[in-house]
Amino acid sequence: MRFNEKELVFLSRQPSERAAELGMRGPKKGDVVKRRVVKLIVNFLFYFRTDEDEPIGALLLEQCRVEREDDQVFSVVFLDEAERKYLFECDSQEQCVEWIDAIIKASYEFMRKNLIYYRTEIHRLTGKDPLEQYGISDETRFQVNSGLPPLPPAAT
Amino acid sequence: MKLNERSVAHYATCNSPPDKTGFLFKKGERNTAYHRRWFILKGNMLFYFEEKESREPVGVIVLEGCTVELCESESEEFAFAIKFDCVKAKVYKMAAENQAAMESWVKALSRASFDYMRLVVKELERQLEEVQEEARSSQAKSMLKKHQLQLQGATFSLQNATITGPSQEGVSSRENGVSWSKPPSVPNGVSNTQGDCSERGDGVRPHPVPPRRKTNGGSLESPVSPGTGCFSKLHDWYGKEVAELRIEWLQSHGCRQNESPNS
Repeated sequence: MRFNEKELVFLSRQPSERAAELGMRGPKKGDVVKRRVVKLIVNFLFYFRTDEDEPIGALLLEQCRVEREDDQVFSVVFLDEAERKYLFECDSQEQCVEWIDAIIKASYEFMRKNLIYYRTEIHRLTGKDPLEQYGISDETRFQVNSGLPPLPPAAT
Repeated sequence: MKLNERSVAHYATCNSPPDKTGFLFKKGERNTAYHRRWFILKGNMLFYFEEKESREPVGVIVLEGCTVELCESESEEFAFAIKFDCVKAKVYKMAAENQAAMESWVKALSRASFDYMRLVVKELERQLEEVQEEARSSQAKSMLKKHQLQLQGATFSLQNATITGPSQEGVSSRENGVSWSKPPSVPNGVSNTQGDCSERGDGVRPHPVPPRRKTNGGSLESPVSPGTGCFSKLHDWYGKEVAELRIEWLQSHGCRQNESPNS
């Protein structure tokens, strides 16, 4: 599948939501833990060799699940290949918890759910659609009618 | 650079609803002819397929940091371009099948970035907090009113019980120029209200609300701590207010009986 790699590399140089050196292990059997600089930017997780500027790779964080594996370890698993786990080893429990939280909130779909919730609540409390003033109330991406009832933002 | 391509492709075709789909012409990257492709926009990712029925995308354009512009094309009408800011960046030249489609795609693509979504979410989050804060303070105001009304009703009955002087004969008595008809039943004391202003009987007109008492913090609304959706906390706080108001009222009323009333 083709993708605009240059633009993605450019994105990896932008200010990140969160960046740290972590132990990272790939999903393949036989993959070992390696020190990587991991950067969270929009809904991508970029990972670099500790002394390099160009990322080795990127993970799009949509349709994925983040789980606590251990005190200081979390995993990222993609729903289409649930047996393949990317493991990340943190330096502390606190760091682990913070990364999990950050990654959960990093998906476009998570933001969309929040937006729909806020829009619905504001409309319920005021009778007005808050998106109307911006002229974007018809945009598909902001519609509530995804077949599911609007949910409040997930706690985890 | 590696990408979790299989999962990215899965995102394109999974059951989450797309933001926009349709046919567009895309200028080839090597073969510079325009090819008709089926496009699926999801979030900040623009996928393109050979055919509508294809199961795997030919490619994806990550739309973060792009601008979308209308452009002139000799060969294509309704042309627009997706441009990026980086060095030696690609320009994706596209063409729609008609004016309406072109406008619709340009709009959708220019608002597709994660950053834009994040901005809108933050703005709505702020608006919701404002609206909730307003709702809380007006709820608090109306609760205080109810407490005061109950308070006045209760002290009225207390007064009736203790006064024997001639000025209190008869059914009605006057307070602050408002004449009351004695209700058939009056709540005893300041009740431990559960938040509802219980029935005080027929024929009782609401007492005019006394002038706002300023607390040290300023207006009456401010001491309500943000996020206090917890009624018992609100009740405790207003319980204190009510107790103080009650003392004030009793004292002022005690004075009035012995002195000529001020206007």
